[in-house]
Amino acid sequence: MIRIDCALTQGSFRLAPRLTVGTGVTVLFGESGAGKTLTLEAVAGLLTPDSGRITLDGRALFDAGQGLDVPPYERRLGYVVQNSALFPHLSVADNVAYGLFDLPRARRRRRVAELLRLLAIDDLADRKPARISGGQAQRAALARALARRPAALLLDEPFAALDEGAAAALRRELRRLVRDLGVPVLMVTHNLAEASYIGDRIAVMDDGQVLQEGERAEVLTRPRTARAARLLGIANVLAGQVVAARPAAVVRTAVGDLQSDRPAPPGGRAVQAALRADQIILTRPDRPTEPRPNMLTVEIQEEADFGHSLTLTARVLGAPADPAPTLEIQIAPHPYRVLGVAAHRRWRVHIPPEAVHVMPG
Amino acid sequence: MGSGARARGGAPSWGRLLVGALAAAALALVLAPVGVLMVRGVTQADVGAALASPFVRASMQLSLLTSAAALAFVVGLGTPAAYLLARTRFPGRGLVDALIDLPIVLPPVVGGLALLLTLGRRGPLGGALAWAGVDVAFTTAAVVAAQTFVALPFYVRAAKAGFQSVDRRLEAVSATLGARPWRTFRRVTVPLALPSLAGGAVVAWARALGEFGATIMFAGNAAGRTQTMPLAILDAMEADLNAAIAVAVVLAAVSLAVLVSFRLLARVGGRAL
Repeated sequence: MIRIDCALTQGSFRLAPRLTVGTGVTVLFGESGAGKTLTLEAVAGLLTPDSGRITLDGRALFDAGQGLDVPPYERRLGYVVQNSALFPHLSVADNVAYGLFDLPRARRRRRVAELLRLLAIDDLADRKPARISGGQAQRAALARALARRPAALLLDEPFAALDEGAAAALRRELRRLVRDLGVPVLMVTHNLAEASYIGDRIAVMDDGQVLQEGERAEVLTRPRTARAARLLGIANVLAGQVVAARPAAVVRTAVGDLQSDRPAPPGGRAVQAALRADQIILTRPDRPTEPRPNMLTVEIQEEADFGHSLTLTARVLGAPADPAPTLEIQIAPHPYRVLGVAAHRRWRVHIPPEAVHVMPG
Repeated sequence: MGSGARARGGAPSWGRLLVGALAAAALALVLAPVGVLMVRGVTQADVGAALASPFVRASMQLSLLTSAAALAFVVGLGTPAAYLLARTRFPGRGLVDALIDLPIVLPPVVGGLALLLTLGRRGPLGGALAWAGVDVAFTTAAVVAAQTFVALPFYVRAAKAGFQSVDRRLEAVSATLGARPWRTFRRVTVPLALPSLAGGAVVAWARALGEFGATIMFAGNAAGRTQTMPLAILDAMEADLNAAIAVAVVLAAVSLAVLVSFRLLARVGGRAL
């Protein structure tokens, strides 16, 4: 387990991550410039914080109070960066063997063969890094990092430079590997889909701080702040006032009163309501429906077709606010065709109470 | 061929002719004297016989010995300096970086005089050495010192550029793989900077081999002890022009070989990175 609680000031940027990384994959997610890579470098020992503590399995790697800063070569951490950073003058096998200098030759050779097999690159053993693909290089870099049986793995955007096919295959493999290894993995990414797929836990980082950390589903559906919600790709975040707090919150927003399935968070009456674009349900205006909460009438103004889904921008009609607010609605191609969305502009939408997430304002 | 290309190729302007003529003159200025030297060396002077004379042989042996020793000093002293200049920040770094190039622009005679004043019997360092029973000036050691002095910056420059070209992330990754700084230096930094290091060493050696001005000031021109090949040419001019030409041809051939090997190393380096 890695515990990070340190701080570093670089010019006007202040890095102050607080995070605990247990077994499984913790994804450090955020925009570029949020301080994700710096955090990873601080854990690896490549960057010395000004203050605080970093521990690995209870042993201090860095402790400003005691003046302790374990050098990177004694931290026993596996570290993989975006474009693999394989040693260009060494073959794939020699790259993997690099960290095994204290093993006798025969054992070193066995361990390298085992790792090359594990990552399915045994046929590339004698190739130089310049003569293999990006995905193969990343496999080799992973094998090299695993060779010394690190106590934890640090991965910095390991798939960002790969084409989608190679990245998908490697993501699947990484999940399998991590399950078998049973070590903590801290992986940096700015790709939300990747974070959702690989992360057992997600830590949202912004401007040098960890905004929120928790189990994947919890973080993705229940961001703690409006900023976290935006970073996590929740398109609709509406400011509002709590008009009923319990048993289930009702929030007065620019699109009307929205009912949640949970009580309002403690704090003031001013709140933010997050509505995920993929949880808003379209129904035809001419179909009679039983009265339900959170029904709105909208008019579609724009469509963006992303292939696997469409994003509709819809103006809310009869809303109390002026100009009328808009909502983003995400819909899969199949219901889009079946419903005939292309032919009708005016729709009734239903927002299930469980899709209304209320955050402190 | 397109009409534009024909127009450009068909009507050479006076300006283009002038540029071409000046470039040809520059090339001739460099190549003609060396060409004449080589031709005379092959046709008139009996290079083989001249090289067999004890006088020439002694200067060649001395040159090989002293330039090899100078190269060892240059690499041994220059590599740490180049690494520090490439990889660390310290106060006055810019100044040091600029001043280490001084021997490149300093007239060698001035360098030789400065060495004599410093390491000569009455100099601040030479006095101490003399007290300890070591005399540097006008010995073979002085030749090595003069050669090291003039050749060092050529190596430091190239080595510094070589170290700077090594991706620091590779060194960082090496550290996370358990390698201490010395291992990282040997296994990652030096192999990747090697083309630059070797290129710098070759050029520095050539500069040491051709050293004249500083040597004659600081070491004198004593046959067998301080008379290297360039000094031998000077001596031979008075006695036997053919011997002078023979030694000059050898030095010119070595210089050509250095040029070619430097180009080859640069290309290898370009491919490796």
